[in-house]
Amino acid sequence: MIELEHVSKVYPGSNGNFKALDGITLRFPAGEFVAIVGKSGSGKSTLINLIAGIDRPSDGVIRVVGTPVGTLDESNLATWRGRHIGVVFQFFQLLPTLTIAENVMLPMDFCATLEPRAARLRAMALLEKVGIADQANKLPSSLSGGQQQRAAIARALANDPPLIVADEPTGNLDSHTAEAVLALLVGLSKAGKTVVMVTHERDLTQYADRIVTLADGKIASQTTAGQHTVSEVSHA
Amino acid sequence: MSLHKTHSIPSIRWLKLARDLMAEKGRILLMLTAITVSIIAIGAVLGSYAVLTREIAANYLGTNPASATLELEGDVDARIVKLARQHPQVREAEARDVILARAKVGEDWRSLLLFVIDDFAAMRISTFAPIQGAWPPATGEMLIERTATSMLEATVGGHVLVKTAHGTAREVTIAGLVHDPGLAPASQERTGYGYISRATLSTLGERPLLHELRITVRDPQASIQGVESVASNLARSLTDQGIAVHEIRVPPPRQHPHQRQLVTILFMMLAFSVMALVLSGILVSGSLAAMLVRQVREIGIMKTIGARTRQIFGMYALMVASIGIMAVVLAIPLGWLGTQILTKAIAGLLNFNLTDAAVPTWVFAVQAFAGGVVPLLVAAIPIARASRMSVRQALDHYGVSPDSLRWRTAKLPRPARNALRRPTRLALTVALLAAGGAMFMTALNVSAGWDRNIAKVYETRHYDVEVRFHEAQGSPVAERIRALPGVKSVEAWGYSPAAFAKPGQINVVRTYPDRGHASFSVMGPPADTRLIGFPVLAGRWLQPTDTEGVVLNHAAAAQVPQIRIGDRIDLSLDGKPASRRLVGIVEEIGSSAVAYVTDQAFARIVGTQVGAQGSARLLRIATHANSPQGRIDVIRTIEQRLSDDGVSVETAVPLAELRTAMADHIVILTRALLTMAVVMATVGTLGLASTMGVSVVERTREFAVMKTVGATPRRIIVLLIAEALFIGALSWIIALILAVPLTGLVDTLVGRLGFVAPLPFIMSPVAALGWLALLGGVSLVSTILPANRAARMSVARALVAL
Ligand SMILES: Nc1ncnc2c1ncn2[C@@H]1O[C@H](COP(=O)(O)OP(=O)(O)OP(=O)(O)O)[C@@H](O)[C@H]1O
Ligand SMILES: [Mg+2]
Repeated sequence: MIELEHVSKVYPGSNGNFKALDGITLRFPAGEFVAIVGKSGSGKSTLINLIAGIDRPSDGVIRVVGTPVGTLDESNLATWRGRHIGVVFQFFQLLPTLTIAENVMLPMDFCATLEPRAARLRAMALLEKVGIADQANKLPSSLSGGQQQRAAIARALANDPPLIVADEPTGNLDSHTAEAVLALLVGLSKAGKTVVMVTHERDLTQYADRIVTLADGKIASQTTAGQHTVSEVSHA
Repeated sequence: MSLHKTHSIPSIRWLKLARDLMAEKGRILLMLTAITVSIIAIGAVLGSYAVLTREIAANYLGTNPASATLELEGDVDARIVKLARQHPQVREAEARDVILARAKVGEDWRSLLLFVIDDFAAMRISTFAPIQGAWPPATGEMLIERTATSMLEATVGGHVLVKTAHGTAREVTIAGLVHDPGLAPASQERTGYGYISRATLSTLGERPLLHELRITVRDPQASIQGVESVASNLARSLTDQGIAVHEIRVPPPRQHPHQRQLVTILFMMLAFSVMALVLSGILVSGSLAAMLVRQVREIGIMKTIGARTRQIFGMYALMVASIGIMAVVLAIPLGWLGTQILTKAIAGLLNFNLTDAAVPTWVFAVQAFAGGVVPLLVAAIPIARASRMSVRQALDHYGVSPDSLRWRTAKLPRPARNALRRPTRLALTVALLAAGGAMFMTALNVSAGWDRNIAKVYETRHYDVEVRFHEAQGSPVAERIRALPGVKSVEAWGYSPAAFAKPGQINVVRTYPDRGHASFSVMGPPADTRLIGFPVLAGRWLQPTDTEGVVLNHAAAAQVPQIRIGDRIDLSLDGKPASRRLVGIVEEIGSSAVAYVTDQAFARIVGTQVGAQGSARLLRIATHANSPQGRIDVIRTIEQRLSDDGVSVETAVPLAELRTAMADHIVILTRALLTMAVVMATVGTLGLASTMGVSVVERTREFAVMKTVGATPRRIIVLLIAEALFIGALSWIIALILAVPLTGLVDTLVGRLGFVAPLPFIMSPVAALGWLALLGGVSLVSTILPANRAARMSVARALVAL
């Protein structure tokens, strides 16, 4: 499903280049719920951005759902992403001038997957699924954080992508709400989607099939549901 | 998991676009207003140009104006007309005469141009149309031009007392009104226009002779030289048959007397309108770039969820296009309305009937192009930049960041530093304001220069009335006038219509048949005249010993551009040749071309003597009166005296009339300039308002941060206002500097047209300070309104606002 081979990411900076990711090699099968953890600045967001095709690696190859992400140009990458990846952000990132339902319909519009009437039906079904169908016609600003994140998840599901990536989706929510949102993501994983999620909170990792721990841009450890450590350090 | 792939109408992103437009109402309104105003201006100017060019054809050319007029010594009888018609290059010929008479209006005498028509039923050249009353007029009656009713204070059925050079005053009945598009409106020329038959001319005490042979040439596209050569050729063949030709008058072909003024004014207005559009373009691009800054995060999100660059570009391009389309939809009818108002005003100026005020489609097409394409063109770059941004860049983007400038501006005061944080936008705003301000000031400066020039009419002339006689008078006339109560001083001058002579040829002048436009004369004032004092442009004024010298006014000098001080000039005074040496050129505002020689020299040329025998064709008289009514009273006394003495007066023109005539000629210009000033002010201040709105909104987050560290909203607003004032002041200084060459340019352009000389250069303090005040006001309003909103916003909301 997702394969990373010797992936590095270097940020140019004012006092020399900074290597945010250093020779990462990873492989997740389809349907897994992957949690990426690590200290602040360890490179979690960088990694997930690379997987989502939001950013490009400085070195190495990334293959997602069989597509070598690095070979696509910006526009084709965008369409590919729209169809194959659902992205959930920490700050929800709903478009403020569109209603919740319209936000959910937008990816179907850009990727031309459904015509408006069908898109609306699908949006309502998705909102039903995440439990906020009654908020469909409100603007994002009038929803609570948890409700907004549910809407964002519904939007991520709009084009029925096989992969959901989420960067600290619960980071902005209280623990009670966070749990509900997390349960939603777990449910998706159970329903067959691959979910890759960055998180800070250790106790949330109990749901994960796999936990990847980053430290200074390298994989510090990797454990699967059976609690056995796959590797301590990254491959040379 | 089988989603149907369809390519139906996209909907949600257009919805988003519409909502964003609504959310940015204020800024959109600014852009819309700026574009709309400039397209209205462009439409009105182009529309007027199109309509008026067509109307000139329908009105002026419809009268079949004479290509040339040959002034004969004797009567133009049927035989001569027939001879002329037989000339191979002549299409039509007709006998006419124009007589300068006077009409009594109330207690005063006014000038009356009498057009003597050979046969009202068979006019072919310089025709006019009856609009009311009799046609043709019976003997003892006259028709008058429709615009002359106010000058004569009489209309159909009324009577006017008319006096010609040789006759006694006689009541003439006004039998009807005509419309003569070949003449400027009577009130502008301060004269009445009447049309009479030969027989009526006879009853007015003149010999029933018509001296003008008016012709049109065969070649409808003939140039002025072409017409001259046909006319000269005809004159030679007439001379060969013993018919003496005195003078040939060739006005600019196919051109209404006021056409050049008109075209220049429209051209100038067009230049201003196009500039306004360019400035609006800058404004749109600046505002849009600012709007896009706020949209960058959303662009990043849209790209994340699958939007392609092309889709994003399309969205924002459509946004701009829809603003343009709205502008066009508004501007087309309003531009049409502007055209109607402007053409009506100009038609009045030209004494035209608007036969067809329909605006041709190409004008609307130009407007649509200007509104539809120009904003897109200028917006393309910021839109392309924003939509091409990678997702990562877009998601990371924070409003204000370029730090490279900061260290260099560290020593500047805070508002300047804030303004400099976005150097491109600052440059655009300042450029927009400076250009707008410069044009605003220029419009008002030129208007002030024009007023100044008109004031010169009084400053350089120290007499109150000019009396011209039909025949030269001796000095006793002047003595008797001098003795009258209320008269301060009198000077007796020689005066004669004249031409620059070409040796061995019949004189050709460029005068219109109304005798006023583009005329040339020689005057002989006493060398030590105290009643005029024109600024000397080159050489010097006349001296008593100048028997051989001549001074030209600038309008005359312009007709012989290659001439230098010391050169010889060949003049012809009513057929009498005179060769003189140029000693000086003076600036004489508000006069047609004049050559000055001393009264002694003048007398020598025309073969009389100064003094008892008389060579004075005009008196210039200063009075003690200091009110208009007082002057009129003195003028009445003078007229009475001259009448009692049996002296035949050709014209008596109070100086105030000259000024009225000049002011009337250019109200349209002044209004056009003021309109343009308003357009520029609108676009310029909208630009400032838009920039300040953007600055405020962009710094919402920063306000919140400042508030959390204890800065009060008031302090923040004060800072913002200071920033707006800084931008305003900076642009004002640049505008002031730019206005100098621009004013000079327009002064030259407009002055050449109106006075044959550049207007005096004036930087109007009212314009400069007015613009400064306007900037200050707009700075305050456009900052305080959004800043208040921003400052009141809660810290939490402000922090997520961007
Ligand atoms: N655009 C960038 N330019 C330069 N350096 C960057 C950029 N983005 C991230 N970095 C650096 O790369 C490193 C990894 O950043 P990243 O955002 O991936 O960390 P993170 O693990 O997600 O941290 P956090 O838990 O705080 O979100 C950090 O040291 C960060 O400073
Ligand atoms: Mg992170």
